[in-house]
Amino acid sequence: MKQQKEASTEVDRGSATKTIKRIWSYLAVHKRLLNAVLFMVLLSSGLGLLGPFIIGRTIDTHLSTRDANGLGIILVGLALVYLLHSLSLWLQNYWMIGIAQETVFSMRTELFSKLHKLPIRFFDKRQSGELMSRVTNDIENVSTTLNSSVIQIFSSVLTLVGTLAVMLWLSPLLTLVTMTIVPLMFLGMKWITNRTGRLYKEQQKHLGELNGFIEESISGQRIIKAFSQEEKVISEFLIKSENVKKAGYWAQVYAGFIPKLMNMLNNLSFTLVAAVGGYFALRGMVTIGTIVIFTEYARQFTRPLNDLSNQFNTLLSAVAGADRVFDIIDEVEETSDEKQSKAISTLEGKVEFRDVTFAYEKDGYTVRGLSFLARPGESVALVGPTGAGKSTIINLITRFYEPASGKILFDDQDSMNIQRESLRNHMAFVLQESFLFQGTIRENIRYGRLDATDEEVEKAANMANAYSFIKRMPKGFDTELSQDGSGISQGQKQLLSIARAILADPSILILDEATSSIDTITEIKIQEALRLLMKGRTSFIIAHRLNTIQQADQILVVDSGQIIEKGSHDELLKKRGFYHSLYQNQLRKDHVKAQ
Amino acid sequence: MKVLSLLKPYRIPMLIAIFLMLVELGVELWQPLLMAQIIDDGIAQNDLQTVLRIGAIMLGVSLLALGAGIANSFFAAYASQNFGFDIRKNLYEKVQAFSFSNFNQYPTSSLITRITNDVNQLQMTLFMSLRIALRAPLLVIGGIIIALTVNVKLALGFILVIPPLVFFLIWIMKKSTRLFKIVQEKLDKVNMVMRENLTGIRLIRAFSRGKYESKRFKQSNQDLRERTAFALRVTEIAIPVLLFFMNMTVIAVLWFGNIDIHNGNVTVGEVVAVVNYTARITQAFSMFSWIIMVFSRAIASTSRIEEVLVTESDLQEGHNKLEAANLAGGKIEFKHVSFRYPDTETDVLKDINFCASPGETVALLGATGSGKSSLFQLIPRLYDPTKGKVEIDGVDISTLEFDHLRKQIGYVPQEALLFTGTIKENLAWGKEDASHEEMMKAVEDAQILETVESLPHKYETMLGQKGVNLSGGQKQRLSIARALIKRPRILLLDDSTSALDLKTEAKLLDAIKPYNCTTLIITQKISTAKEADTILLLEDGEIIAAGNHNDLLGYSKLYQNIYQSQLGMAESS
Repeated sequence: MKQQKEASTEVDRGSATKTIKRIWSYLAVHKRLLNAVLFMVLLSSGLGLLGPFIIGRTIDTHLSTRDANGLGIILVGLALVYLLHSLSLWLQNYWMIGIAQETVFSMRTELFSKLHKLPIRFFDKRQSGELMSRVTNDIENVSTTLNSSVIQIFSSVLTLVGTLAVMLWLSPLLTLVTMTIVPLMFLGMKWITNRTGRLYKEQQKHLGELNGFIEESISGQRIIKAFSQEEKVISEFLIKSENVKKAGYWAQVYAGFIPKLMNMLNNLSFTLVAAVGGYFALRGMVTIGTIVIFTEYARQFTRPLNDLSNQFNTLLSAVAGADRVFDIIDEVEETSDEKQSKAISTLEGKVEFRDVTFAYEKDGYTVRGLSFLARPGESVALVGPTGAGKSTIINLITRFYEPASGKILFDDQDSMNIQRESLRNHMAFVLQESFLFQGTIRENIRYGRLDATDEEVEKAANMANAYSFIKRMPKGFDTELSQDGSGISQGQKQLLSIARAILADPSILILDEATSSIDTITEIKIQEALRLLMKGRTSFIIAHRLNTIQQADQILVVDSGQIIEKGSHDELLKKRGFYHSLYQNQLRKDHVKAQ
Repeated sequence: MKVLSLLKPYRIPMLIAIFLMLVELGVELWQPLLMAQIIDDGIAQNDLQTVLRIGAIMLGVSLLALGAGIANSFFAAYASQNFGFDIRKNLYEKVQAFSFSNFNQYPTSSLITRITNDVNQLQMTLFMSLRIALRAPLLVIGGIIIALTVNVKLALGFILVIPPLVFFLIWIMKKSTRLFKIVQEKLDKVNMVMRENLTGIRLIRAFSRGKYESKRFKQSNQDLRERTAFALRVTEIAIPVLLFFMNMTVIAVLWFGNIDIHNGNVTVGEVVAVVNYTARITQAFSMFSWIIMVFSRAIASTSRIEEVLVTESDLQEGHNKLEAANLAGGKIEFKHVSFRYPDTETDVLKDINFCASPGETVALLGATGSGKSSLFQLIPRLYDPTKGKVEIDGVDISTLEFDHLRKQIGYVPQEALLFTGTIKENLAWGKEDASHEEMMKAVEDAQILETVESLPHKYETMLGQKGVNLSGGQKQRLSIARALIKRPRILLLDDSTSALDLKTEAKLLDAIKPYNCTTLIITQKISTAKEADTILLLEDGEIIAAGNHNDLLGYSKLYQNIYQSQLGMAESS
């Protein structure tokens, strides 16, 4: 769809007007202030004309006649006019900046809150840095344009209309002659903006890609350094940077043509008026005085046109930015909660899958025919080789993804009837990749329950066996974690994630390789805490160490996207199936160990 | 300034652009004269011939201006785009040379803003400077000179006003430069929250903290809005003030002009001329608000770029090429190594001593946070030890070139990190010119062949941020394959098999053996450690026990505990 949009310039132009209208709708919210700005533009333009007019008159009536009578009063009046003029200029800018920044602010906010409504699928397919570019570089384009363009467009249109009126009044014929350049101007503008519009878009797109590349390569520094691939990433960076340069170069070149072209046409129109006017004057159709005044106005007429065309071009760069923002805002949201869906205030924790099938890609499936029942308070372990579909099952329980067919029920209610957020409010997670925010340790644990007291936070940390290492940190719970939680070890991150989940006090608990990076002694210590935590809650556990899961009430053995065995540890052992062989494999190792 | 020195290669295109701009400016100044001629000699005299003749000259001249303008566009765009490209290149190369303590200094989001947004500001400024910015000062200076020739005394009046106004402009510019620097910092902040939300989206969803995050974002967004509005408003004060004072000068000229006319010192025409020139200068001045804004933003951005460019990487590359060639054995020796992370107060490694002989497998065991991963990072010199030294084949690694050192090492970090690109491209990180057979072999040994072959696009499958959903274990195995394809002398596996089931893990470790490299492996599992030649047991940054499985089982209390913890769990059924 996106490609189609880019392919056809016809559609593009249509969308440019649409985008401008849409940007305008943000501005229009501030109608009153905008009217005030407009009024100030009118006022400043009027006063700007009144000043020279008074000066002209003063020279005629006082200086030329050497009549100093009343000159003082006139000059005081003039000073007042100029004071008002400056004041109105200042006010229009002051207000306009407010409106522009408010607009940009809303766009950013809207983009951001939209992100939280998009399905996880959306993020799985995009680079973070590319999305970040939309908030910074693209919106920046809009911001720069709005700060100045609106006022400029206002005043240009104003001057244009004013001069056109005077010109028509002076000589409709010569006005017509002046207007002959308008089609030329229009053609020229169209030729240029057809190119700049496309190039601006390309530039922003490449800039976004570059941004994405930078983000990824800085996040992946460890690998780049360890594999000494600096040169490789630099050369890749240069290719992407070159793309930005190319699009930027041509956009600037074409944009640079505009004032030059306008100046040229301006002169053309002047010569035309002079020539045609002279011809008419010879025939006595116009007076020479008219031509003289008229040329003066004709010159004034092209200036705002010139400004307008420049502004139009700037507007296109804003459009290129805004389009990329609107692209996201218009993305299809996480299948929005169905109309009939309700918020749930309590959740017992019964979870049932009925013949659930799901695929990440359109073709093929990742899991199929999944059916199981987890009673409230039960612990369910998911076992199976990597890539069997365990994490996918978790993704479905958390409703990061929706099943392609089949049903998931929570407390016997179809998940489609429950609002996602209210459901997740009753869940807590310790995910495979523990994510920590920049902030203090305390804040990071408190993320589990925002209204938790300091004591509760510390108690949760204690239960997760994180207390001792936190206390050893220079500022204890108030130690600032730097970005991506670097500075503490992977295992410690997991301990903090567990503390966070403990604090959340959920009905459904999900532990996805929650202890994989934690040493076994610490694991034993927190096992007790986890057991306590799991008590009275439905919990889903993924772990590769069989010993951490054998106490589960129910074990689901998953292979190639299907549940192939189901039952308790003992039952499954008796079955002598897949689980049995997995277990044997580990046991044998343990026996070897014991020797 | 390093940034400005990057302008040097573009001196000639810049000079050409400026020359073309001057041509344009000349034509522009000439045009009013031609217009006057058309009116005075042509129309006023009813001489159509003259109108057409001068009209033709004017058109010719404006064609010249058009040509100059268009050519200027090319040169200005060329210089500014290449300037931008070069700054980006320099910045990015610098960032690639950063040590991890440098990275702690600059949040990722800030580096990104600097490389894109700040560079754009500079590039834009250069382009505009080469096209129009010079025009305003030239017009002002020209206006002053002409006014002075008309009547020194009258012109003096407004000339006296100009220096204070220029000072005022400079003052505003200084102030707004500082303000725009804050704006960019606020932009960093917005970028940071945005980045955190994107990378942590699953967690945020899982805890349904969308609203909380929106509030957090709103805070930084609001800051940005207020700061931007404030900075812009400060720059916008300039013009109204400027205009007001210039206009007051006109009034003064009128007033004193009137007196002088009375005294017969000056003619009316002269007063009119001076008033006209004042008006022109005023007009040129009004361009300054825009110039101030663009330039103060550019200066703010320049200082941010400069900051990065002058940052010294504290990891210094060695230059011992000769000995590097001899790293064929793969013996690793730690000699009294202590290490603490930059800007922290406690040692995470204390007096570490051990030696891994060529081809040996050493397992590192220890509690969470005991320093295992930190120890690993010293070997490819991601960090340098605070005390002591690390030697490979008897050569102090701090004397080696990064490239030579790291070529020998296959490092598989704890978090499997793959880049946007195909599986093939990701594997090529290990060896650029790897043949298909080599890839298959590495993939097979990493126990992921079956998965790769089952993907619809096989080796061409896209991975990373834009790629397919691979499970944690699959990613881990691909990153192991990436290390194996290098055929390294030294293999570092940082708990890289944690997400693998035991069967796969055992197969993988078996497959690695023929590679015959010195292998250091961090693990939680006794079953894995037991296979190693030596086990190092770490506690609080110290090696508290070293030996093989049986040795440790014999004398190390901690090892016994760990052993019990795993055995106990297995047997509790």
